Amino acid sequence: MNMTSSIRATAIFMSPAALIAIFIVMPPLLYVVYTSVNGLAFSLDLYADVVASKLFRQTLITTFVISGISCFVSLVLGFVVALHLASQPARRRAILLGLVLLPLWTSILVKCFAFMVLLGREGVINSILSWAFDAHIQLPMILNRIGTLIGMINWQVPLVVLPILASLLAIDEAVYRAASIMGAKPARIFWTVTVRLSLPGVLAGLLSIFVMSLGSFMVPALLGGPKDLMLSNLVDYYSRQVLDWPRASTISVILFAISVSFAAPLALWRRSRRI
Amino acid sequence: MMPLPREERTQQVARDDSRPNGLGEDVVSAARSNRRDGSAGLVAKNRSENDPKYAIELKDISKYFGSLAALHPTKLAVNRGEFLTLLGPSGSGKSTLLNLIAGGSGPSTGSIFLDGRDITRMPPRERGIGMVFQNYALMPHMTVFENVAYPLRARHFDRSAIRAKVTEALDRVGLRGLEDRKPRQLSGGQQQRVGIARCIVYAPAIIMMDEPLGALDKNLREQMQGEIKRLHKDLGTTFIYVTHDQEEALNMSDRICLMSLGAIAQLGTPDDLYFRPRSRFVAEFIGESNIITGRVEGNGRMLVSGNETFLVPHEKRSTGSELTVMVRPERVRICGSAESVTTGENVLDGEVVGTAFVGGTTRVAIQCANGLHMTAKMMSDRLATRPAAGDQVRVCWSSIDTVTLDS
Amino acid sequence: MTDIIDDPLQRRYRAVGTALAVSVYVFLLSPLVITIPMAFGTANTLTFPPTEFSLDLFRTFFNSPGWVNPLLNSIKIALATTSLSLFAGTLAAYWLVRREFLGRALITGVIMSPLIVPSVISGLGLYLYFSYFRINSSTLSIVLGHIMVVLPFVVVMIMAGMNKLDRNLEFGAELMGAGTIRMFVTVVLPQLVPSLVSAALFAFLSSFDEFILSWFLSGPDTITLPVRMYNALNWEVSPVIAAVSTLMMALSLVVCVAAISLRKATPADG
Repeated sequence: MNMTSSIRATAIFMSPAALIAIFIVMPPLLYVVYTSVNGLAFSLDLYADVVASKLFRQTLITTFVISGISCFVSLVLGFVVALHLASQPARRRAILLGLVLLPLWTSILVKCFAFMVLLGREGVINSILSWAFDAHIQLPMILNRIGTLIGMINWQVPLVVLPILASLLAIDEAVYRAASIMGAKPARIFWTVTVRLSLPGVLAGLLSIFVMSLGSFMVPALLGGPKDLMLSNLVDYYSRQVLDWPRASTISVILFAISVSFAAPLALWRRSRRI
Repeated sequence: MMPLPREERTQQVARDDSRPNGLGEDVVSAARSNRRDGSAGLVAKNRSENDPKYAIELKDISKYFGSLAALHPTKLAVNRGEFLTLLGPSGSGKSTLLNLIAGGSGPSTGSIFLDGRDITRMPPRERGIGMVFQNYALMPHMTVFENVAYPLRARHFDRSAIRAKVTEALDRVGLRGLEDRKPRQLSGGQQQRVGIARCIVYAPAIIMMDEPLGALDKNLREQMQGEIKRLHKDLGTTFIYVTHDQEEALNMSDRICLMSLGAIAQLGTPDDLYFRPRSRFVAEFIGESNIITGRVEGNGRMLVSGNETFLVPHEKRSTGSELTVMVRPERVRICGSAESVTTGENVLDGEVVGTAFVGGTTRVAIQCANGLHMTAKMMSDRLATRPAAGDQVRVCWSSIDTVTLDS
Repeated sequence: MTDIIDDPLQRRYRAVGTALAVSVYVFLLSPLVITIPMAFGTANTLTFPPTEFSLDLFRTFFNSPGWVNPLLNSIKIALATTSLSLFAGTLAAYWLVRREFLGRALITGVIMSPLIVPSVISGLGLYLYFSYFRINSSTLSIVLGHIMVVLPFVVVMIMAGMNKLDRNLEFGAELMGAGTIRMFVTVVLPQLVPSLVSAALFAFLSSFDEFILSWFLSGPDTITLPVRMYNALNWEVSPVIAAVSTLMMALSLVVCVAAISLRKATPADG
């Protein structure tokens, strides 16, 4: 009796989300996998074909290189910002945090447009440089690797700030006092306390921006050149221009597998820390 | 040149401390010179007579936050090797004082001298002070060994010296064998021992303890009190101890500095504070007290309400001026009506209004005939023989147990 | 201030840290700052800083059906997405926080999975899936797609709000005889209002800004503002885009400010 009423209540509260999970979230992934193995034929030929293709390999390397560099730089910049935020009094921190959250919640399209204007051949920065050096300067800063990286970093820094800030704020202030009374200089305190104790946040932030950057689409498409295409752009290319759905699906599944292989440790680690 | 004997060599370093700059380097080099000495590190060395008189001297230091005074201008000198306790309710300024000595912030006015050198504006790391925190403030990611080795590594000791000193310090606090544990694997008492070990390991000039036992339960607290006292005796280092627990202060200290509202209320030995409190605040904060107010009548007498006169110690104040005196409850006797009263004793008739049996002692509240409330404290008797509410009694106390307070 | 202990070493580190941090703030905000003055420039050229100020670009934007229709589509889709995902997300978040039930971990995993699955995969998958039902290019298909990516955000935000509530109030209401649903409506929902409002705001913003799924799912009549903007950026960088960007940023600003003022002073979490 009690059992059935609790099942009924669970059904009432969970059914809308469950319907979404079953009929909207799950099917696309299954469809992609299904298409990639040629349906019930379950053929892995396409995988062999894709992995052997030069374009795919090149794109895979590009994806890892761009994600790796941009995540590393974002981590350093994000750490600088988090450190600054953590050292501020609470009121000012809230305001400065707003300066980080606003870019976080601004569309990437808006930022890409702004960087086109800023970094373009006739853009703001080139104009300033031309004026300053009294020459016609046209540094190529978009539609290449530099533009892609700048766009990626600008997008990832706010994402990595929040977990690091949370770890920094969790450090007991007395530990800093103790370290300095015991004779440690600021550099030693920085490495043995600040950096060491913020590692959980650093790791969580790094993994999550890395997983997100693996799937990034707009930045390489708008700010990158032909050599900066990432796996998402390749999926888009095969599905919308070549109309080769099975190949697009195959690449998607591979991208998914890579993302999960980086996201799963993060999820497991978070769960183990919560207990 | 002949190698100097050890004592003199450290002396020389200590004298160099008076140089205006690079004081911090000297602390480090003083510590470094210990390294060559092997394991003689933890016990404070005998200083020569040339050394400044006080371990710590505070000259008119104050701390204001805006117009709010956390600490009014204060003078305080701590003797070498002394165990001084800063006692007071929260917000009395004791933590502010400690923080100023530790270098958490600078004073608004005044200066601080450590062994005769001015450390007022010196960053904490260069002061060479040790501190034990209420919530331990251990490095959560380091083992016990690494925690205790931390101050030595900051001073660039070599590996073998670190091992020897850490081992000695852990021995002293009874934590040998737990070197590889992390702080969260230890009990509260053990964590605080680590806190103490990492403080004594670098033989700081003074050791400050900020309510170190505040987070521990009563039994453990009493045991640790004994251990800290013994440590103080063994090391001979100057201790500054902060607590709000008066029994802890009375038990452990050479001198107590009782603070109230950002100023020193009274500085003295535990005996001074208990038996010769200067003000009503001191009398009421430490122990229990009966406060009696009245006017000076001259001739060693005071006039209180109900036109009674009490014998009090001889009073210099002029007749008619206000007078506040204090009697400790354990000095107030309840005597039978037949009992004769010796000279110099005050006697009042009254009625018992309540008793509190708290184990070894019983507290008896008495409403006296002249309207005065008195509390008497006596060794407990069985219920049948204890005074009970409604009993008509006489209370007496001697004029020599009466303490005159500043009003 | 005389009260501060002047430690040259520490001061130097602090100065370097602050200088670095300020330059990162500038880097983060410069793209936002630069678009605003351009949006108030003239319609002919895209220059910075603009030589004269006008509302021409906004006029152009609102007079061109090629921009207004996508804007209306986006608003319609975002409103539908917000209400549906808020409905499903609130109920689920409450139950996930308070109850233990069979399949809880599984359903949580599925609901949250869009957070780690690259959108391109969801986009392609939804396109193939909806082709089967022949609802591609419809508003419905885009709304369903957006619900998929917005739902995890809503659930996370409401779960965070739920965790702050005192469970005993709910227990008390049930002791006094309220059924689960009555208790939920009369005790839980009123206390959740701040979380609900900020979840709704962020759901609307996420849907309004969403690009990749719309890119795969929209047809000629259901094109959304971001898709229109992407197309425009791919063909020619027209000055109108500055106006569009400014409008989108204004929406982000409103949502952020509203969310921050709702949350008062708990700055550590995003």
